[in-house]
Amino acid sequence: MENDVREYRRTRELSQAELAVALGVSRQTIIAIESGRYSPSLPLAFRIARFFDVPVEKLFNPSEEEL
Amino acid sequence: MTRSKYARLIAPASTLAVGTAAAIAVRIGHTWTDAIVFEVFILVLSTGWFLLTLTKSDVGAIYGQRQDERQQHVVLRASRFAMIVLFAVTYLTLLIQVASNKVYWQEDVILSVGGVSYFLGLLMYGSHNEDDQGTRRGIMASDADGANNVIPPM
Repeated sequence: MENDVREYRRTRELSQAELAVALGVSRQTIIAIESGRYSPSLPLAFRIARFFDVPVEKLFNPSEEEL
Repeated sequence: MTRSKYARLIAPASTLAVGTAAAIAVRIGHTWTDAIVFEVFILVLSTGWFLLTLTKSDVGAIYGQRQDERQQHVVLRASRFAMIVLFAVTYLTLLIQVASNKVYWQEDVILSVGGVSYFLGLLMYGSHNEDDQGTRRGIMASDADGANNVIPPM
């Protein structure tokens, strides 16, 4: 699923490792989410949205096929 | 993510325990030399597992008992792949044993237990007639229709 996690992370000037620690996941998972290879669970998606203080639907952009 | 500093010892210690039990079985059925060679192999394997847990990789996190949700998903997919391969190889072995008129009850047991376990898993983890209760306990369609009419708090 496409998302703007990378953009928000860069805006906050965070590394993938720092974001991973803040969210309690591995850096590989952050890489997989940013590249769209892994769609996080609802709790993790909400944790990411809460961390960046944005609505979850603003962070993740599912395609028509995914809806 | 990190459960405890000893968590990464679980996989290597389990390998060592299970392997040592197997080495004892080797000693009972074979010679001391066979058992010692097997135990040395298990020691090397356990050390390898432990070194893997120190790496910052998916495998390291999984064997270090500190996997996150994606890595748990990886474990599930890897387990599924392993089971498919195991079943295919066992079935192939069963065919060869039957065709060559040899004993095949071992393969029969593995396939039967695997099949029964699969259906047990479906029963244990699947949902059963929860729709009605869920509708009663959850949001009714009429509630959802009326959601737009909710008066906002003052």
